Amino acid sequence: MRIAIAEDAALFRAGLVRLLEDEGHQVCAEVADGEALLAAVASQRPDVVVADIRMPPTFTDEGLRAALELRRVHPGTAVLVLSQYIETRYAAQLLHGSPAGVGYLLKDRVADVAEFTDAVGRVAAGGTALDREVVSQLLAASRHAGDLDPLTPRERDVLALMAEGRSNAGVAAALVLTLGTVEKHVASIFGKLGLPASETDNRRVLAVLRYLGY
Amino acid sequence: MTAPAAAAGAAAAGAAVRAPFTGRARRELLFCVLGLPLSLPLPVVGFAVTIWLAQVAGPPWTADGNPSWLALLTAAAVVVLTAALMVATGLTRALAAAVRRTAGKLLGEHVTTPPPPRTRLGDGPGWRAMAYLMLKLPAGLAEWYVVGVFWVAGIVNLSYPFWWLSFRNHSPGVRLSPVPVVTPFTWSGVGGHFQVTTFPGTFAAFGAGAAMLLAAPWVTRGVVAADRWLIRGLLGPGRLTQRVHDLEQTRALAVDNAAERLRRLERDLHDGAQIRLATLAMNLGMARKKLGDQGAVPDVAAARELVGAAHRCAKDALVELRELARGIHPPVLDNGLGDALASLAATSAIPAELVVSVPVRPTPAIETIAYFCAAELLANAAKHSQANTIKILMTERAGFLALRVTDDGIGGVDPARGSGLSGLAQRVAVVDGRLDIASPPGGATTITVELPLRAGHR
Repeated sequence: MRIAIAEDAALFRAGLVRLLEDEGHQVCAEVADGEALLAAVASQRPDVVVADIRMPPTFTDEGLRAALELRRVHPGTAVLVLSQYIETRYAAQLLHGSPAGVGYLLKDRVADVAEFTDAVGRVAAGGTALDREVVSQLLAASRHAGDLDPLTPRERDVLALMAEGRSNAGVAAALVLTLGTVEKHVASIFGKLGLPASETDNRRVLAVLRYLGY
Repeated sequence: MTAPAAAAGAAAAGAAVRAPFTGRARRELLFCVLGLPLSLPLPVVGFAVTIWLAQVAGPPWTADGNPSWLALLTAAAVVVLTAALMVATGLTRALAAAVRRTAGKLLGEHVTTPPPPRTRLGDGPGWRAMAYLMLKLPAGLAEWYVVGVFWVAGIVNLSYPFWWLSFRNHSPGVRLSPVPVVTPFTWSGVGGHFQVTTFPGTFAAFGAGAAMLLAAPWVTRGVVAADRWLIRGLLGPGRLTQRVHDLEQTRALAVDNAAERLRRLERDLHDGAQIRLATLAMNLGMARKKLGDQGAVPDVAAARELVGAAHRCAKDALVELRELARGIHPPVLDNGLGDALASLAATSAIPAELVVSVPVRPTPAIETIAYFCAAELLANAAKHSQANTIKILMTERAGFLALRVTDDGIGGVDPARGSGLSGLAQRVAVVDGRLDIASPPGGATTITVELPLRAGHR
């Protein structure tokens, strides 16, 4: 995959480049602010953009605004936003409309190389990667919190992983279950919550997130 | 008399001769002339009412053709009512504002405008302005007296020799009535009848006029000083109001400063230790992947290098966190200002000589502010002063802690040009401390910070 990286901390940016190149990806652009990112995407047309939220000049939400702009101008380019803290409002803005090809992760997640590269791959393939911190905040604040009571603890785990954007195979790997067991759990969850079963992962994420009050 | 003393004497004499012609004398004279009318409304009202009652109305308002007690009491009541009306309509405030403006322009006496009134009649500053207008009557009369007797009469006296010959050149033998000369003593009974009857006598009048004009600026300054005292005391916001105003301002500053410090702290953490730790975790994650869960490692060199990078990140993060922690509160400060300043002086970029004599320990908050003041002043000197040595002197006197930092640099420190000094002054003001800067361009800079030993004890 061709990847563009926008991150103002040089140390971390170099680490990211190395990590992604070690995994066999090609980093076609390394920039340090939102403007440069938009220019780089326009000229390099990467498959995925990995962008820090807080960058110069304002050090507020540069990366997020650049990401939203990218989603509008280059819908085909997947965007994975990294941040040192999680704001559900930012997640809502990113996912607004469609969760396809979008990710929002804590920077800490890069420590788990496999998990991080899996998220990059998922986003690049048009999927979703939502940080479990976002999902747990959503679950905690969900106006349907009472409705989740019928779910077994295991089903709640599966629901959370689905909300993060994982496929059945991903859920199975994360929980060390067989694919069949996961499918059974998913069917049970959808039945209990009264959600329409959907074929694609995106529609499923959307359904779950909508249910959780997004 | 030695030569320098003679020179000084000559300079003083010159200054005394020039005094009547200085701008200051002119402005003070103008102030004296302008002032009196302001005080007239109330006396005029009282006088008019009394006269009208005495002249037009019959008994019981008059007694033997004079105003009766009843008439005087009524006039007084009308005066009080007028005063209340003037306060309630804001007229007194407008007059007070005019006086403040005039005093500011002509006397350089800048008095803060009091806050707007809460109720019409319960307007403290309004009533105090009214008191000023009342007291302005005697003050204004004294001012006019000075203008008339010292300035006008002084100039008139100077002119005696000039017109004497033109108007008084009668044929010899004609006896002329003497011409009176007005002096400050004219109405005092002491040598009161100064008259001129001959041409040479006019030179005595000339001399008196010159003396009066020479004295005039100083007498004017005296009556104006009394007026200034009234203006400061009665037309300002009042001590308590001023204090409340100052406290509101310093409180706002303190709140802003606290918020700003927290924001900076978050920023430092975010850009510093946090990013290093994230990179450290990322490097370890990559190394772990290279090492695998078990068995032989295909790329040991890369794994080693990643662990090395992670190790460096960990050490850098430790340094950053330590610096950050020390920026929040230097642990050495717990041992007292002496130790803290000693370690500060030891790390100063410019060699610093330190003298600390603080027998009474200030409160921790004051110690912290004093420490950060010293740190900021040292850093400032290192950045801008081009000094070779710095002296730090910390003493305690009469409940106050004084920090004096002197450098032998290029001077010209201007707090307005954002050298961090204005921020320091704000921080010091929060605890009623003060910061003084003496920094002539090209000369040594001395900055003195004075803090109470405990915040809240003035």
